[in-house]
Amino acid sequence: MPVTEHQGSSSSPSTFSFGRSLLSLRRDHVAMPSGEEADLEAFQRHFAASLGELLPGEVEGGGGGGGGGGGGEEILSVAWIRRLLEAFILCQEEFRVFVAQARRRGALPAAGEKLVVEFHERAVKALDVCNAARDGVDQVRRWERLADIAASVLLAPGEIHEGQLRRARKALSDLSVLLVDDTAASGSGGVASFLASHRNRSFGRARASPSRASFAGATSATSSSHFRSLSWSVSRAWSASRQLQAIGAGLAAPRAHEAGLAAPVYAMGCVLHLVAWALVAAVPCPDRSTALQAHHLPAAPARAAFPWAPPLLTLQERLAEEGKRKDRRNSCGLLKEIHVLEKSTQKLTDAIDAAPIPLFGDREADVREAAAELAAVCAAMRDGLEPLERQVREVFHRIVRSRVEGLDSSMHNAD
Amino acid sequence: MAEDGEEKLLATVQHIVQTLGSSDTMTEDILRVFSNYDGRLSLDKLYAARAAAASAAGGGGGLGGGGEHSMPESPTLPLPPPPAAAVSAAAAAGRPPPVTSMERTVRTLDRQISQFVAMDRLIWADSADADAFLEAVDDLIGTVQELEAAGTNRGLFDRAEELLSRCMARLEEEFRALIERPDDAAPAAPGGFRSDGSDDEEDFGGGDGYGDEPIPIAKPVTDYDVVIDALSPGSVANVHQIARRMVDAGFGRECAEVYAAARRGFVDESVARLGVRPRTAEEVHASSWEELEFDIARWIPAFNMVFRILIPSERRLCDRVFDGLAPFGDLAFVAAMRTQALQLISFGDAISSSSRAPERLFRVVDMYEAVRDLLPDLDPVFADPYSAALRAEVTAVCNTLGSSIKGIFMELENLIRRDPARVAAQGGGIHPITRYVMNYLRAACGSRQTLEEVMEGDFGAVGGAAAAVDPDRPTSSLAVHIAWIMDVLHKNLDIKSKIYRDPSLACVFLMNNGKYIIQKVNDSELGVLLGDEWIKQMTNRVRRWSMDYQRVTWGKVTTVLQTGGPGVGGLPATAMKQKLRMFNTYFQEIYEVQSEWVIADEQLRVDVRAAVAEAVMPVYTALISRLKSSPEARHDLYIKYTPEDVEACIQHLFEGAAK
Repeated sequence: MPVTEHQGSSSSPSTFSFGRSLLSLRRDHVAMPSGEEADLEAFQRHFAASLGELLPGEVEGGGGGGGGGGGGEEILSVAWIRRLLEAFILCQEEFRVFVAQARRRGALPAAGEKLVVEFHERAVKALDVCNAARDGVDQVRRWERLADIAASVLLAPGEIHEGQLRRARKALSDLSVLLVDDTAASGSGGVASFLASHRNRSFGRARASPSRASFAGATSATSSSHFRSLSWSVSRAWSASRQLQAIGAGLAAPRAHEAGLAAPVYAMGCVLHLVAWALVAAVPCPDRSTALQAHHLPAAPARAAFPWAPPLLTLQERLAEEGKRKDRRNSCGLLKEIHVLEKSTQKLTDAIDAAPIPLFGDREADVREAAAELAAVCAAMRDGLEPLERQVREVFHRIVRSRVEGLDSSMHNAD
Repeated sequence: MAEDGEEKLLATVQHIVQTLGSSDTMTEDILRVFSNYDGRLSLDKLYAARAAAASAAGGGGGLGGGGEHSMPESPTLPLPPPPAAAVSAAAAAGRPPPVTSMERTVRTLDRQISQFVAMDRLIWADSADADAFLEAVDDLIGTVQELEAAGTNRGLFDRAEELLSRCMARLEEEFRALIERPDDAAPAAPGGFRSDGSDDEEDFGGGDGYGDEPIPIAKPVTDYDVVIDALSPGSVANVHQIARRMVDAGFGRECAEVYAAARRGFVDESVARLGVRPRTAEEVHASSWEELEFDIARWIPAFNMVFRILIPSERRLCDRVFDGLAPFGDLAFVAAMRTQALQLISFGDAISSSSRAPERLFRVVDMYEAVRDLLPDLDPVFADPYSAALRAEVTAVCNTLGSSIKGIFMELENLIRRDPARVAAQGGGIHPITRYVMNYLRAACGSRQTLEEVMEGDFGAVGGAAAAVDPDRPTSSLAVHIAWIMDVLHKNLDIKSKIYRDPSLACVFLMNNGKYIIQKVNDSELGVLLGDEWIKQMTNRVRRWSMDYQRVTWGKVTTVLQTGGPGVGGLPATAMKQKLRMFNTYFQEIYEVQSEWVIADEQLRVDVRAAVAEAVMPVYTALISRLKSSPEARHDLYIKYTPEDVEACIQHLFEGAAK
């Protein structure tokens, strides 16, 4: 089977750098008594373990990158999202192995193949979420670049002078334009309206003079469109909310008598939906706020029905909680780093506004402290966002590949 | 002597300034024009002279100018005016502001720059203004650097820096405006100064060629053709001038951001004009193939336009604007076209992950080839580390399309294997699936090299792959794959032949389809791929089916006609008559049925008839002649078919229902 050569290259060890490696999983497989039930049991156990490792507080070791505090990664931090994506890739790999083994045993009847196809159809719907998330991550990187200008200008050695403040204000103002636009596109208001009021205070237009109607008019008109960010690579009418609904559509727990692939396919559907939801929640993307309604979360399986149901439910609950938190409700993304960026940006803006010229004493310390905070989150973003973006692509390509493979294998099975 | 001359010159200028300069702005303009033309007329000196004159006249302090210029700003500025701040800073330091030459320079620059910064039109609408402003900015950057190096006068440094940040904000706006609306810049007018300025130029005749330096000005581009030169060389030069100042002043990141933001609109619109609709993966999955074919037909030229013309043009523009200012140019370049590039790429991904119906092969091959052919040309465009990720995306979509082609080919096998044996081809003729598969494969051979490459897994290995793989080698992956497809087809046809009740017709069916396959293979590149050995095998199979047919249909007929060895006693007449009757029945039956059957291939039909005739005619003729020569049998002998009749009937076999 020519397609299998992808698998070799794709399951590079770096992808599974956390927790157990795929190899050890395989060994588990070998150790188990063979047969469908054993495989199913192993699959569900591994699945539960993968999800369990994502639960906050249950991670030992490794302070992990990103701006999260505490020991393990904070939920919805860049590092956590990356682990979530890794877990998804791992689960998908487990699923692939499970299906392949079922086929090898000839234990995959037409109904089973249909379930596999069904999962692939569902997975394909997540492709657009991946694209939107990639754009969203890129958008956040843009915010980071502007925020970092402001922060690094103010952290230059020596006293802070008016020129630096002006420059920082300009960068913050451009940033606020982006945040306002993105928040508007996401469909919420809070931070946006705060920032919009700042924007109207016209940071960057200190040079304004009353007689310059024409030019000032022209530039301010462009300056609002100028930094207008959102040119998404998904089409304009695309809605994260609708997409999530489509991914979750018809996702129902199998009945007790449904054996074979029903349970793994359901498990994969649930985790796919969870991952898609988390991506949409984490980073800006079109129609994001509607998507954060709790009812868009996957239909929950009964806690006792599957070994992986408890960790999945806990994750869902935690995510929903995050989405409902007051301070995050109007955010451009639930990503921890975005939250910190928004907060520090706001803090810095306030500090600058409150500061008379020349700066000295507490006021200067306030500005510097806020700038240092912002600089720290920018640094964390610089380190974390690029790998995150790559990983989103990896998930995308995995889904595409698994689809190819699903079709090919079923063909050979029919021989 | 020289000192004297200079003083006189300054005095003259000062005089002219005072007489001409009825308003402050005009004075500033004139001063600026002067300062452009003669180094001796540095603004510093002019301002100093002017300040001296003013203080002599009005008794005001030198600082008055500073307070004055900031007046228009204060209504919108929530902060105290910077010069005042500087003063208070100096006061806070508890020492009187010594009017050093540096300070004078800063103050002069402040005055001058404040005028520009407050201008209510594009500074670049007037090239002289632009030049003067740039020069002032240069002076300021130099001053800031000097002050920083000296590190002695913090207050002044801060003030200069503050001024610099205002310059940069203004430059950023000019920069954006020049990129977005290059036509708003000053038209190319030789020596485009105001008349009063040029008059003075004549009078004072700088004469050292300083003023002859061509000032780059945007000419509106009328011929857009295919190569997109969004900005005229003049505009590019202007924009580059600004970029250089911004980078020099440490505002490179701002410059890159604003450049990207300004270009993005152009890139977006250019792509939109190419008529490619942005499609999500899900839309692609939900669309009919007709729609997608239409989209692909647009996508391929759009992809080429964007990656071969638009993006390289953007690269060129960016390289010019940020000439010598790396890495800001690279950063700006990627940020400007990233989204559109990804948008186009994602369509490839969406197509790859959608249905693998065999009819999609050819369009997907077209897409793959477009991307593959592009790859080597991308290297110079995406050479920097910032574009590496985009380059990787293009490579990835090339691989994905390649896998997709492979998948489609496999899907063809699937389709053949699953084709149900429900309806038999009439008269044992060529089955539609045989025609479909053979014509499909023949057409696929048109893209042989690409398919070869894809089957070998050398996605995008242009040129190299062609050299490495011997395409005429029947063991190549593609050849193996096609042989495999032929095998699947053969098996499927074999199953289909079983639905004929008449085994003879099954033979005819297999013969027909086999012969058709051979024909299609022989007159196309398939022959090369499958090789002589394969063709020989196939020919043998057809021959075997032909022999099977002879045996099954005509075996019993010829057996009936056997009269034993000639001469030796022979059969009794009644037995011979019996044989003839049996023959008549058989033959009539066969003729009635098999004249409706089809042998599509002319030569095969001739051959089969000849073989039938060869088997039947001698024995039949022998029987007839024996019957005729037998005295008992000759009596009331009824010959239904003369040998000529039989011969004629045989020649009418396999004419098909349309006969």
